[in-house]
Amino acid sequence: MLTIGLTHYLILAAFMFCCGLYVMTIKRNAVGILIGVELILNAASLNLVAFSRYKTGLLDGQIVALFVIVLAAAEAAIAIAIFVNYYNNLATIDVDRGDSLNG
Amino acid sequence: MMLLSLTPWIPAGLDLRMFAPELALIATIVAVLVVPLVLGRSGRTAAFISLIGALATFLLTWRAVAGQVVERGYAGLSPDPQATMLVADNFSVFFKLFLSAFLALIIGLWLLRPANGRGAAGVHGGSAGPEFFVLLLSSALGMALMVGTLNLLVMVIAIEMASLPSYALVGSDKRSRPGAEASLKYVLFGAATSSIMVYGLSLIYGAFGTLDIAGIAGKLAGQSVSLGWVPAIGFFALCVGIAFKISAVPFHFWCPDVFEGAPIEVTTWLSVASKAAGLGLLLRIVYALSTAVGGAAWLTPFAWGIGLVAAVTCTVGNLAALRQDSVKRMLAYSSIAHAGYMMMAAAIFTQAGQGQFMSIGLAAVIAYLMVYFVMNLGAFGVTALVSWRTGTDHISAFTGLGRRAPALALPMAVCLFSLIGLPPLGGFAAKWWLLLALGKAAIAAQPWLWGLVIVAVINTAISLYYYVRVIRQMYLCEDERQSAVPAPLGGVVLVNVCAVALLLLGTLLIDKLGNYSTYYASNLLVTQPTAPATATVEPSAEPVVMAPVNESK
Repeated sequence: MLTIGLTHYLILAAFMFCCGLYVMTIKRNAVGILIGVELILNAASLNLVAFSRYKTGLLDGQIVALFVIVLAAAEAAIAIAIFVNYYNNLATIDVDRGDSLNG
Repeated sequence: MMLLSLTPWIPAGLDLRMFAPELALIATIVAVLVVPLVLGRSGRTAAFISLIGALATFLLTWRAVAGQVVERGYAGLSPDPQATMLVADNFSVFFKLFLSAFLALIIGLWLLRPANGRGAAGVHGGSAGPEFFVLLLSSALGMALMVGTLNLLVMVIAIEMASLPSYALVGSDKRSRPGAEASLKYVLFGAATSSIMVYGLSLIYGAFGTLDIAGIAGKLAGQSVSLGWVPAIGFFALCVGIAFKISAVPFHFWCPDVFEGAPIEVTTWLSVASKAAGLGLLLRIVYALSTAVGGAAWLTPFAWGIGLVAAVTCTVGNLAALRQDSVKRMLAYSSIAHAGYMMMAAAIFTQAGQGQFMSIGLAAVIAYLMVYFVMNLGAFGVTALVSWRTGTDHISAFTGLGRRAPALALPMAVCLFSLIGLPPLGGFAAKWWLLLALGKAAIAAQPWLWGLVIVAVINTAISLYYYVRVIRQMYLCEDERQSAVPAPLGGVVLVNVCAVALLLLGTLLIDKLGNYSTYYASNLLVTQPTAPATATVEPSAEPVVMAPVNESK
């Protein structure tokens, strides 16, 4: 019977990280990119909790994970407020449409 | 971290005193939020409260904390004395002075903005609400924390605390289309890089079992041959987040767009404060790691990487600045280039027993930051005054400025010459010290640093072209149709003071600048919070350290 160990969690987290990176690069919709960011942050949280449980045996990794969740929430709040502002000005949230500043 | 102890941890009052500047900033944020409930929403009231708060922070750092740091040696704040979370040493004291002085000047610049410029159509609409100052102050608090910590979690939180308000500040003018676009690009770039950074943090935690830099350095001290895969990826991912803050290539794409789209006060704030804090963070990590590990083989590729990124950053910044017609955008690329120069100092890694080169490099960066503070404030100040009046920051707005507004054109020319790094201005002294620090380390240990010196010199030559282009436009091009540019007296005084300060920093005050920067680069807290001078503190070859009796700016 298969016992779930640290490696399994790490592989899952790495997979989530890759999914997040893929979503961030492929999506042109701002909300889509934000979802990619959240995937990566959750991968990091999963890593932290797994390491904390299997490797250090201390609680600090799990507390860091709590901080990461709060960071993700704060970031989403600011990001969505900015998306709304962008939508009010350009009537779209497609990032490629913002081309008045050519960078 | 002793999280399992049951007795609650309460910091000692004397320790808390060391963090009075941060507490003062927090109190100011609360005051700016609460006072409008009593006095009514007014941007000016909020601005004055924030100005008082910024000045109070400056005075507290200078009067109360700077002396204490010298008297008591190091101070760190943490439940576990072995793993410091908040740090008050000379280096962080410098950044607190730097940030609070700059904060006060930015608020001053905001107050100078003419009433009709506020919310006018185009790029230069500003926000008049108290929220603007809440955001400005909280980003300042985040930046102060970034430089004052030795814990990776606190670093990440501080970076986020500095970034999140900055995203909103850039888009603070809700009617401005470029502002909305700039803030969207900024928030997406920032969120992407910070999420990668947090993932790197989780890998570092897994590899070392701690997030304390001293603890990590202690574990690394045993590994001299290779670093291993997981921590290597972790450190790389961490560097992505820091590179975003410094706007190092290839994470610089946000920078010109954000600087162009944001209100000009915010641009000035981000171009100096945000980069300075990012550099301070990078230098602190590099210093702590390389001091503890001292000449390990795996440090060399790390140093090569930083050197390469620094060289590419300043080259790309300078080349891109060549073809800009917007002065604001040109200054944005120039700030990328200057961040590249300063990053070069981070490539000086200590070989075993040669800690003094790192200290010289740190001192050079601190001197560079002081000068950069003044010259960027002057250049952006003039650009702000011109663009508020003419409604554009296109280079054509500067045509014949030498005749139309001599009191603006002359300081602009001085600031631009200083940005090039021509003697006898402060910019020359700063660049000279930086190259000297690189050269000294190159002679002693790392010959490849000569490559960076050559890159920096070639880049200075490239930068000559686009800075002089503005000066030529101001003095040699005449356009009879354009009228005089009246500017508020405060603004004229501000930019002229900047120009005079640059002249003094390059001539009469040059010794003082050297002494201060050596002083603030000394006694960096690396591992043991309470121990007095450890092996990391090396008397450098620079002049004797003096107590900060007065402020050099």
